[in-house]
Amino acid sequence: MSNGRILAIVIVSVTVALIVVGTLWPIPAAVAMASSGSDLLRPSTSPQAAVANLADEIGRLAWEKAYSSLANNNEFTELDFVHDLTGSYPSLRAYATLDSFDQQPLHASADEAQIQLKLHWSTVVGSFLDTRTLRVVKTGDRWAVAWPVVKEPRVPPQVIPVNYLRWDVIYRGPEDDWAAQDVEAPHVRIVDMHPVERGDGVIIMGELLNEDVVPAYVTVKATLLAQNGSAIATEDSFDKISHILLPKQVTPFLIAFHNVSLSDVANIHMEPSASLIAASADPVIEIEDQHLNPAPGASLSGNLLNQSGQVVNVAHVLETFYDKTGQLVWVSDQFVDRALLPQTPVSFTIPIPADIAAKVASERAISATYSSGRFQ
Amino acid sequence: MHKTESVAPASRPIPLSMIFMAALVVHLPLLLMKLPLKSYDANFHIFFASHYLHNWFDPWNSKWYAGFSQTTYPPMPQQWLALLSRIIGLDMAYMAVQFAAILLLALGVYRFSLLWVDHRAASFASLASVFLGSECFLVYSAGQLSTTFAAPLYLNALPYLFQWVRHGNRRSFLKGGMLFVAAAAAHHVTLLFGSLLFALPVLALVILDRQHSGRGDRERLSLPVFFFRTGSIVLVVGAAVALVLLPFWIALIHYPVTQTPIPHPSRANYLLSPQWGLNYFVVPYGALILALPFIVWRGSSVARLRPLLLGFWVALLVGLGGTTPVGRLLLGRAFDVLTMERFSYWATLLALPFVGLLAVELIDRFQMRAVVGLTIAGALTCGLAVAWASYRPADATDFKVDTVASWLNRDGHDRYRYVTLGFGNKISRLAVLTDASSVDGEWNSGRMLPELTQYGGGALTSSKYFGKPGLDALSAMLHHADRYGLKWIFVRDPYYEPLLVFGGWRRVDDLEDKTITVWSKEDVPPAVPVNAPQIPPRWQGLMWGILPIGSSILAMFLVLIPERLWHRRRVLQPSATHENLVLGRLAS
Repeated sequence: MSNGRILAIVIVSVTVALIVVGTLWPIPAAVAMASSGSDLLRPSTSPQAAVANLADEIGRLAWEKAYSSLANNNEFTELDFVHDLTGSYPSLRAYATLDSFDQQPLHASADEAQIQLKLHWSTVVGSFLDTRTLRVVKTGDRWAVAWPVVKEPRVPPQVIPVNYLRWDVIYRGPEDDWAAQDVEAPHVRIVDMHPVERGDGVIIMGELLNEDVVPAYVTVKATLLAQNGSAIATEDSFDKISHILLPKQVTPFLIAFHNVSLSDVANIHMEPSASLIAASADPVIEIEDQHLNPAPGASLSGNLLNQSGQVVNVAHVLETFYDKTGQLVWVSDQFVDRALLPQTPVSFTIPIPADIAAKVASERAISATYSSGRFQ
Repeated sequence: MHKTESVAPASRPIPLSMIFMAALVVHLPLLLMKLPLKSYDANFHIFFASHYLHNWFDPWNSKWYAGFSQTTYPPMPQQWLALLSRIIGLDMAYMAVQFAAILLLALGVYRFSLLWVDHRAASFASLASVFLGSECFLVYSAGQLSTTFAAPLYLNALPYLFQWVRHGNRRSFLKGGMLFVAAAAAHHVTLLFGSLLFALPVLALVILDRQHSGRGDRERLSLPVFFFRTGSIVLVVGAAVALVLLPFWIALIHYPVTQTPIPHPSRANYLLSPQWGLNYFVVPYGALILALPFIVWRGSSVARLRPLLLGFWVALLVGLGGTTPVGRLLLGRAFDVLTMERFSYWATLLALPFVGLLAVELIDRFQMRAVVGLTIAGALTCGLAVAWASYRPADATDFKVDTVASWLNRDGHDRYRYVTLGFGNKISRLAVLTDASSVDGEWNSGRMLPELTQYGGGALTSSKYFGKPGLDALSAMLHHADRYGLKWIFVRDPYYEPLLVFGGWRRVDDLEDKTITVWSKEDVPPAVPVNAPQIPPRWQGLMWGILPIGSSILAMFLVLIPERLWHRRRVLQPSATHENLVLGRLAS
């Protein structure tokens, strides 16, 4: 009986010990799944812990808890805080998930610190970075973040007249299979094309022109051919192009081939395709205040202004960069994480590789948009 | 052999026929309502079965992942399902096979418990298996047909293992061996991990019994004999399992699961993530949580029960997922591949003999009050686990995929591949209904497409729930739509629309009152069959179609041979024991 008692005590003690170990030092799989309680184990006894707890809560969308932990939550409402991070209208931010975060202390004293928090958000079209400089203050034996809230501008009620071009297409009937059109496809032409070796593969950049008087739905496919004429790889422009081209409009495109060396490529077969599409010039997005920021951290920044009366949920900026001779040297793009409200500028920044930035003399931007519930 | 104490030896055990009746009353209505169809994996098993129904000897299934081999998953329950479906259809066949597993569990728990406790406690353990939370959770919420089919076979095999190793009973060797092989043909994870948790305590029991047998005991077991008998059954069963599942081993060795691990909530720390603790601990264990102190105390106090206690303890710790580091330490990389709820299932099965003991003691002491209390505890445990499928459904909203299947099956749409977004585990049901092929699927270990394996995402249809890895996998697949003839995307979640709009896909149709939209890409060539090295050769298809289900038929045949036939053919052996039960006797 005594042996049994010892065994029971050992089993219970070891189980409790293992649970304590698993909770205090959770394995990565458990950390990835942790939803709450982690802040219980990491009290905000330092500025870094306070920021990490806040980022955890933001990542879990535990808005009430995150808001209540802020040192300056008497200055704005919880809704202001949520809208600052997710936006007031459906956008990439609204449905983004926090992939990771990192923080960098900038300044610290006995009762105040400044920390730069980088939130790496993941969205359906890629990732974006949200950088905030946070003031962290000590209240009692705990630290709390003073959140630098940025309130979204509210658009006053108004009437916006619209006067835009629109093209409709009459199809044969509902039994039509899309793209099986009996009409001549719009005329499109590749007006520029440059293959370059970069990183781990080959990149083909170029521009496509809609020569027709009707809108076109376009895409560009490229096949790399070896010396013997065999195909090395085929890729298409996917989202590195503006698929809807109005008459006489030009779009840049970029096609990436990974793990291919340009020296193995003897020829490139380009295959632009176009089909007729109903389209409109609305919403009109003006790209304004563009300016190149030199290296280090070279980039092109500017503002998008939605001149129409409807909300644009996602905007995509495609930028073409040219050298002094007017030759295309780079194509880059950026999805804008905030919705474009009517008449409200939203900034964007497109990074440029350092070696390219030195060559850039001019640039040209176009934008493509997505508004929920509206399809071409 | 020492028997554990029971205070009221005069009381009679519950007849197995009554226990089967209880299983019938509790589970048959739920199965006739097809409740498991709402679970996570039921349609996955039905999908596999539908392939066997039409291609019994060809395990290459082209409907998922542009083609994958079903030899990556032991086929026995699905093959039975396919056979029965010829009479009653796939859905009801699933219910029939699942019900057979529930009955086999009651029988298996009874026979397994008899190794540890007396008849009366064993009968209560068996009755408890009918109400077992983990069983109900796996059947009605998780839909793990293979796990719930394999475990009862192991439990039924273990008494034969005991008989063979302890007494050298050759009939037990045959019967037990065949049941082990059939269990392996039902589920590989149960074979690789669960079998040790069940078998090692039984072998330890043999050692304990050997130590307690008297000097004059003519059945006294020497250590060399113990090792010889254990080694012989391990070798023979191992060889048989290797043969019966040869295509599975070939697939596993040539194409090991090296893909990026996919997060699963059963690996969470249940204290840091209490919602998963509720899901994977409270619901499966139910009222059994109240019995934990008794299990530890009684299991420690009685020497014969200690191996069972230790087996239960290890299974419990691993089943706690990331709450303790044990799972990670014991399983290594397999921890990131397996889901942990099956360990909790095995832990509860190992706990049932203790539950039987506890029930007997409570009833003897408190009479009707204990009966009422235990009945309520059992009903609440079973009820919560069954209802959990409604409280935490696999799909938040129920919807039909029949119109999607019809759309794909008409006008040559099935010449191209498709993918769904926001369909959850309905993709298995859709795959059953349509002739078209998809690049997505629900059997992660069977996928080989690099776009899917190099990221840590699960099914593409649920990409957003896997964060960046899931969305990266989806984006990579859409980039290579031409390569796989991927022309159609069915969207039930507008979240994905920006990716499609900017990626060059256009909305071409809508279904189900515009809740499902159909998207298409221009200039995609028709899908061509992939010429993958994973395609099993014809001889493997033949093996796969004959041996696994053959092993189960042979096991049934051997187990069902009445004892009298053995006696008629052989010289009467005096060592036959009451533990060596056959169905005919048990049901009487």
